[in-house]
Amino acid sequence: MGTARVVFDRWDGRYAAAMADVRSSAVRDLFAAASRPDVISLSGGMPDVRRVPHALVEKAVRDALRHDGASALQYGSSEGRFALREIIVGLMGETGVRLSEDDLVVTSGAQQGLDLLAKVFIDPGDTVICEGPTYVGALQAFSVYRPIVECIETDEHGMRVDLLEETLRRVGPRGAKFIYTIPNFQNPAGVTLSAERRRRLLELSREYDIPVIEDDPYGRLRYEGGHVLPLRALDPEVIYLGTFSKIFAPGLRLGWLAAPRPILAKVLLAKQGADLCGSSFAQAVAERYMTGTAWRRVLADLTRTYGERRDAMLAALEEHLPADVAWTHPEGGFFVWVTLPAHLDTKPLLAEAVERGVTFVPGGDFFPAGMGSNCLRLAFCYEEPAQIAEGVRRIAEVLEDKLALYRAFVEAGAMPASPRADRSEG
Amino acid sequence: MNEKIAVLMGGRSLEREVSLRSGERVFRALEQLGYRPLALDVTPELVDTLRRERPDAVYIALHGKFGEDGTVQEALEFLKVPYTGPGVTASALAWDKSLSKRLFAEAGVPTPAWVTFTADAFKEMGAASALDLVPAAVGGFPVVVKPTKQGSALGLAKVDSAEALPEALLSALSFGDAAIVEKWVDGVELAVSVLDGPDGPEVLPAVEMVAKSGLFDFTAMYTRGETEYYCPARLAPEVASEVARLARECHTLLGCRDVSRVDMVVDGGGRPWVLEVNTSPGMTETSLLPMAATSAGTEFHLLVDRLVRSALTRRE
Repeated sequence: MGTARVVFDRWDGRYAAAMADVRSSAVRDLFAAASRPDVISLSGGMPDVRRVPHALVEKAVRDALRHDGASALQYGSSEGRFALREIIVGLMGETGVRLSEDDLVVTSGAQQGLDLLAKVFIDPGDTVICEGPTYVGALQAFSVYRPIVECIETDEHGMRVDLLEETLRRVGPRGAKFIYTIPNFQNPAGVTLSAERRRRLLELSREYDIPVIEDDPYGRLRYEGGHVLPLRALDPEVIYLGTFSKIFAPGLRLGWLAAPRPILAKVLLAKQGADLCGSSFAQAVAERYMTGTAWRRVLADLTRTYGERRDAMLAALEEHLPADVAWTHPEGGFFVWVTLPAHLDTKPLLAEAVERGVTFVPGGDFFPAGMGSNCLRLAFCYEEPAQIAEGVRRIAEVLEDKLALYRAFVEAGAMPASPRADRSEG
Repeated sequence: MNEKIAVLMGGRSLEREVSLRSGERVFRALEQLGYRPLALDVTPELVDTLRRERPDAVYIALHGKFGEDGTVQEALEFLKVPYTGPGVTASALAWDKSLSKRLFAEAGVPTPAWVTFTADAFKEMGAASALDLVPAAVGGFPVVVKPTKQGSALGLAKVDSAEALPEALLSALSFGDAAIVEKWVDGVELAVSVLDGPDGPEVLPAVEMVAKSGLFDFTAMYTRGETEYYCPARLAPEVASEVARLARECHTLLGCRDVSRVDMVVDGGGRPWVLEVNTSPGMTETSLLPMAATSAGTEFHLLVDRLVRSALTRRE
């Protein structure tokens, strides 16, 4: 039987000061309340692993045990199993990056890579640069090490490198520890950094001697347009984070980090302190799964499925959202970023959305503080097209009420019409 | 004295975190006092849990919507469980700043000039075209814009010019269906707590807040070091007694019971103005009611005890 009982944290007051800034948000509490089955989730960025055939995974597990049983059940090297690193080198080669097995380490998801890089680079009070909005998990990983986070605005071509240059001029050479970017189908904005801006970003990185971290979880999930070379393909000093979460399954917790060897040496030391080595078993399973061509057919199916869902979401947005709302057009990945007229706050609207049976993530969560409150993120990766269309319709109902208010102000001449620009307030 | 006391905390309001902090402190105090406390969140199982556990009384440590607006009070009346703090009517009146200000004005309690706008007035009646009348109606800028029904100063903004007024209204109306625009009174901000006692409402020493940012908003309220407090407030004796008189009058006027916290500002001429009344004052480490009680010689746990005992006398 359910109960409303609250359990307190009896250790409160004894935690490290660094944890004080890392608190679970009220928004997450609200999602916990939204676990009703009739609620359409447009909030979480979960890969649809229901489409990964279990028979293939079972075979990979069996093969791993049969052929590599002894090593798969043992501690492994901190760098990760050589055979898996060979596979990663091959995967990277397909996207245009040339590197060797010794240029990378296998991590427990790309998320561990973020934590290790933060641990290796950030002292309290250091500056780090990222996109605004950016991946919440990165902000979370960084915040434990207490940096000052500078956000660079994004538009439909990704990070505004002109604004990056302004910031770099202000902080000066080596004035920040790194520039963190998600160049492909960014989380949460859904935008892709143009080839031209990639080149400019790397020039600036060299000029100001500040390394770039390229986080590329979605790169292979492209639904339209042509491949854009990764930053790492253009500059071997770029630190690159990759993952098996989107091409295989996040449950294995497998990612990788490629970096210049001196940096890699530090990362390895940090990793040994964190977990000695990653899961040999998961790595051995991934080796087997990624051998042959079956995984490519699964990935092709996933890509087609996500593409259909993206189309469903874009069509629903076009149908239900009025002209004073802007949204991005992702060429791949999982997310669409929606921008309302300035001064409309999406956070208080979430409770209403949950009541109507749909969830989204309020934009403010993707910035360090005080920005993006008029934006929201929608994920199209997990629900079926019909559900996505219905979810967007429900969100449009919630927004319409506040938009009517905004329009009343504009019509009375009390405030200017918001330009239909996909940028956040701030 | 080992009555079972359910402490209601959390909930889905925007003040959830604050309420959990209030609730935990109250829970600890009840433990220390020898009661049998029970910590309950506002979930779909709440009524079931209350019926199963049959507490002797409920301590309402909820803030914001549902906890402070009469909703949970109404449910507890129906369940016949006595609870701390004001009843349904007083809660609903205090929660709606527009209504309570109207009552103050009618009773001659000084409250800054204001106008109320509902979202519907803008959407259905073209009220936005009358925004030019606002400065004259409230006596010029600066003004404060805030949702009529929202605690912890969420959605609150100080506005210095006519150009910034529409956007502040839009922000405030993100948090509710109506907003008030109120004349900004420059001066000393006070929180004056009132506790019911055997001889009627007893006014605790006023707490004076000085926010470093100049605006006592959500951040100032709940971030240590963002606000300086003086208790008792640094007031001339005649001002202090007028403040106390007004606090008692507001408490009575709204029909409050057990406890209330009246927020005021004293202008440069020493004149107090009433802003609003809170019927479920915060009980966190930085909250104003416990600060006032401590200053008057009532430690936190004794404050909690007093409120709970009062609720227990209402057992049927």
